[in-house]
Amino acid sequence: MNGFLEYVPGDSLLHRLNPVTKIVFAVLFAITCFCTSNIFFLCGMLICGIIMAASCQMLRPVLGLMKAVLAFSVILAVLLLLTSPSGDVLVELPWGYIGTGSIMAAVTTIVRLEAAAIPLFLTFYVTKMTDLSNSVVKVLHVPYKYAFTFASTVHFIPVFMNDMKSIMEAQTARGVEFDQGGIVNKIRLMVPLCVPLLVSSVRKTNSAAIAAEVRGFNLRTRESGYKQYPFSAVDLVVMLIAVALLVAVILVP
Amino acid sequence: MIEFRDVHASYDADIKVLDGVSFQIQDGEFVAFVGTNGAGKSTTMRLMNGLLKPDAGVVLIDGVPTTQLKTSQIARQVGFLFQNPDSQICSNTVREELLFGFKALGEVGPDAEARVDGVIKEFGFDPDDDPFLLNRGTRQLLALASIVVLAPPVVILDEPTTGLDYKECVKVMDIIRRLHEAGTTIVMVCHDMEVVGDFAKRVVVMSQGGVVDDGPTFDVLRNPQTLTRASLIPPQIVDISLALPLVDERLATSPLAFANTTDEMQAAIAQEVC
Ligand SMILES: Nc1ncnc2c1ncn2[C@@H]1O[C@H](COP(=O)(O)OP(=O)(O)O)[C@@H](O)[C@H]1O
Ligand SMILES: [Mg+2]
Repeated sequence: MNGFLEYVPGDSLLHRLNPVTKIVFAVLFAITCFCTSNIFFLCGMLICGIIMAASCQMLRPVLGLMKAVLAFSVILAVLLLLTSPSGDVLVELPWGYIGTGSIMAAVTTIVRLEAAAIPLFLTFYVTKMTDLSNSVVKVLHVPYKYAFTFASTVHFIPVFMNDMKSIMEAQTARGVEFDQGGIVNKIRLMVPLCVPLLVSSVRKTNSAAIAAEVRGFNLRTRESGYKQYPFSAVDLVVMLIAVALLVAVILVP
Repeated sequence: MIEFRDVHASYDADIKVLDGVSFQIQDGEFVAFVGTNGAGKSTTMRLMNGLLKPDAGVVLIDGVPTTQLKTSQIARQVGFLFQNPDSQICSNTVREELLFGFKALGEVGPDAEARVDGVIKEFGFDPDDDPFLLNRGTRQLLALASIVVLAPPVVILDEPTTGLDYKECVKVMDIIRRLHEAGTTIVMVCHDMEVVGDFAKRVVVMSQGGVVDDGPTFDVLRNPQTLTRASLIPPQIVDISLALPLVDERLATSPLAFANTTDEMQAAIAQEVC
C-alpha cells in the first residue's frame, strides 16, 4: 500500500510536468475555487480535478482523501447552514432561519473545498518530495531551510500516524477498551497517549535534526542541487490555463 | 492453549503476509519463533492476542476464536511485550506505569498495590523514576514488568532482547525463565540463536509467511535444510558439533558430534580425552 500523500511512480503527463508548474497550477486552481460562488463552475472544477486524478491512475487515493475532506467540509457546511440566514425561509431557528440561500451556501462550500483540494493532493502523488523541494529552491529561490522544513513535515505525518497506531495497539493489548464504545470513549482514552506520542516525536525530530546537521545542512544553498528543472512548452500552457481560469473567474461575475 | 488452524492474514487486501499457518501451543510451553525479518513472526504474534484477525482460518485461545473476543478481553489471558517499549509506556512514574494495567482492567485495589510493590522490589526499580528518562534496557525491563505484574497465563514477547547489552539481556531472560518455571506459557520471537538454544524448549521456524519447521529446539537447530531455508546460524556449540564429522568422519559417532550445549560439549570432551 502507498503511504499518505506519498509519491507514486508513473510517467503520465502530470508526472512529467515541472514540479513548479504543478505547484503553481494547484495553488492557482485553489485560489480560483475560492474566488467564485458559482456552483456550476465549481462543479466543473471538481470534475476537472477528478479527470486529472484519473489521467494519472490516482483516482483511488484521491477519492480516499476526498472522503476526509468531505467530513471536514460537512462540519463547516452545517455551521454555515445554521448561521447564514438567506433566501426563502425553510426552517425557523431561535436565532434566525435556514433558507434556500443557506443550503446553497453549504453545498457550495463542500464542492469548493473538494475541488480546491484535489490538485494539491495530486501534486504530492505525482511528484517526488525531493523534486518538489529542490525545484522550489532552484526556481522560486525559496531558502532551502523552509523547503526542507515543509518536506519533513509532510514526511513525518504518516510516521506519527503510525506511531499513534502502535501506541493505541499497545494500550489495547493491556486491556484499554479502545475497541469498544463510541467516539467520546475513544477521545477520553486517547488523552493520556499524548505523552508517549510527544516523547517519541521529540526523540525522532531531535535525531533527524542532528543527522541533518552533521551532514552539512547549513552549507546547502541554491547551487547545491545538481538537477535542473527546465520549463517546457507544456508547462507554459498548463500555467496559462491556470491563469486564464483565475482571470475568467475574476472578470466574469 | 493457543491454536492456529490454516491461518491466512494480511494488512492490505492485495499482499498476503501469512499464508496457511497451523500450530498448537499447549499450556506451559516455551516456544521461540525464528526467521528472517519480514517472515511474518510479529504478524503471528498480533494474531495471537487478537490485535489482528485472520482473513481465513481460525485462531483459538482456549478453544474460543479470537474473532469472538475483543483484544481488551484477551488482555487478561495474554500479556504482550512489544518490539518497542516506547509505544507501551505511558505514565509519569514507574509505579503508575505498573498500576496502569490494573486500571485498564478495572482491578485496582490492595491486591494490585501489593503486586506492584512486589514487582518493584523484584526488578529493583525506583518507584518514583520517570519512565521516559530511563535508559533503553531499563525501559524494556519496565515494559516487561508491567506485564509480569498482571500475571497473565500466556506471555508473548516480540524480540525481548533486541537492542539490549549482554547484562540487560541476561536480566530480561532470567525473568522470563522464572515466569516459565512458575507455569506461564512463553511465546517469544528472537533473532539470537544462543538465547533460543539456552531457553526455548520448542522452535517454530517461519519463512515468507509460512511455517517451515516446528519441533524440539535442537532437532530444529540441527536440521541443515531448515538452517539454509530460513538463513539461520545455529548456536556456536551446535555449529561446531555439526561440523566435526566433516573434519574427520571418525567423529561422526562421538558424543562430541551430538553436543548441543556448553555443558554437553564439556562432558563429551572430558569423555574423549580420558
Ligand atoms: N502494519 C503493517 N502494514 C502493512 N504491512 C505490514 C505491516 N506490518 C508488517 N507488514 C508486512 O508484513 C510482512 C511481515 O511482517 P512481520 O510480521 O512484522 O515480520 P517479522 O516480525 O517476521 O519481521 C512484512 O513484509 C511487512 O512488510
Ligand atoms: Mg517483527
